[in-house]
Amino acid sequence: MAVSTIYSTQALNSTHFFTSSSSSKQVFFYRRQNNRRFNTIITCAAQQTVVIGLAADSGCGKSTFMRRLTSVFGGAAEPPKGGNPDSNTLISDMTTVICLDDYHSLDRTGRKEKGVTALDPRANDFDLMYEQVKALKSGIAVEKPIYNHVTGLLDAPELIQPPKILVIEGLHPMFDERVRDLLDFSIYLDISNEVKFAWKIQRDMAERGHSLESIKASIEARKPDFDAFIDPQKQYADAVIEVLPTQLIPDDNEGKVLRVRLIMKEGVKYFSPVYLFDEGSTISWIPCGRKLTCSYPGIKFNYAPDSYFDHEVSVVEMDGQFDRLDELIYVESHLSNLSTKFYGEVTQQMLKHADFPGSNNGTGLFQTIVGLKIRDLYEQLIANKATAPAEAAKA
Amino acid sequence: VRPVKATPEGVISDKVEKSIKDAEETCAGDPVSGECVAAWDEVEELSAAASHARDKKKDSDPLEEYCKDNPETNECRTYD
Repeated sequence: MAVSTIYSTQALNSTHFFTSSSSSKQVFFYRRQNNRRFNTIITCAAQQTVVIGLAADSGCGKSTFMRRLTSVFGGAAEPPKGGNPDSNTLISDMTTVICLDDYHSLDRTGRKEKGVTALDPRANDFDLMYEQVKALKSGIAVEKPIYNHVTGLLDAPELIQPPKILVIEGLHPMFDERVRDLLDFSIYLDISNEVKFAWKIQRDMAERGHSLESIKASIEARKPDFDAFIDPQKQYADAVIEVLPTQLIPDDNEGKVLRVRLIMKEGVKYFSPVYLFDEGSTISWIPCGRKLTCSYPGIKFNYAPDSYFDHEVSVVEMDGQFDRLDELIYVESHLSNLSTKFYGEVTQQMLKHADFPGSNNGTGLFQTIVGLKIRDLYEQLIANKATAPAEAAKA
Repeated sequence: VRPVKATPEGVISDKVEKSIKDAEETCAGDPVSGECVAAWDEVEELSAAASHARDKKKDSDPLEEYCKDNPETNECRTYD
């Protein structure tokens, strides 16, 4: 490993660390993390890279979620400077977001010739995905291809440096078992068919050439592959955000009022699920009343333990939408285990991005909460990696 | 040769329109064939790209754009 060469240069002031097993390297590099003078050491410090997987179909709000997540860590995410203008990568101080479409093995023409969709595993190079994610996780920069969504071609690769937090988002982050095992946390955005249809109408109706029929045909055509290859990944996710039509308005088809469920797996290390009032109970809560005025159709919360693909889970559900901010702070004060750093942080994060889609309903709320849970998980992982090898060295 | 700027919105719009026509033609013969499904998948990919391009355009504030290039002008200077 290239790592060991740097080892000896720093050995002078911390001799007892490198006398023990290989795991002690981690604490050593972590301690050097802020030492900006040594280029190589910064690379080694990135051995701490935490990898997060986000799976969702196209047009289901992955990019909004990504913007909320990077905002929790501070700083705006931007495409790599001076590179390909159609690059899908987003880089901020703490996070690098990679779009898994970049690992298409067949370009648009290739898929058409073979008659396969981008959802089909045959159109994706999982070997390269595994190798590059593994390299980034162990602190090695990679030359990643770029799939150009406009031309449908695979462009010349771009250099990706190992970040503190690597997010891989796309259709198949949990499909390949080897890639799945590299993930420290995984999220699946599960949009129900009714809502997906409503969202795509909102997105595409203004576009020339599109009609209700074409939107419907496109969803229908992709559905068999979606059900076969994308949807089954949700069983592996640590958190699933399910978006369903509201139950507060009978026969609502607009997709504006949503029932959103945050399904959190129990027993995941460094991840303690959020709860409402009392952990493990089943609770239905309507916050509207004397203390809070809500307009039609109001807001309704549910919290319950459940089972999801044979896993123990906790589910927090919100139906309805917020009209004003005071509602959100009232709700936040009754949720526990949010991993906030100060009272009102969820509300503050939501306010920061009041213009993002979903800011007035459960999608924005739960995306923000998951962002805070990921920050907490990251901090615990790093702290643990720093102390564990030191203890091992002492023993 | 690679374009210096990202592809303009109008070009993507044209592509979306064309891809929908292609998909409708391809599927007229055989609605469940691989070619048909791949054609509709292309429509989805281009629609998503078009919507991302629209969002990007919507976000940009004319003054902020100008200040990125001219931070020293009167209307752009800020002191912390």
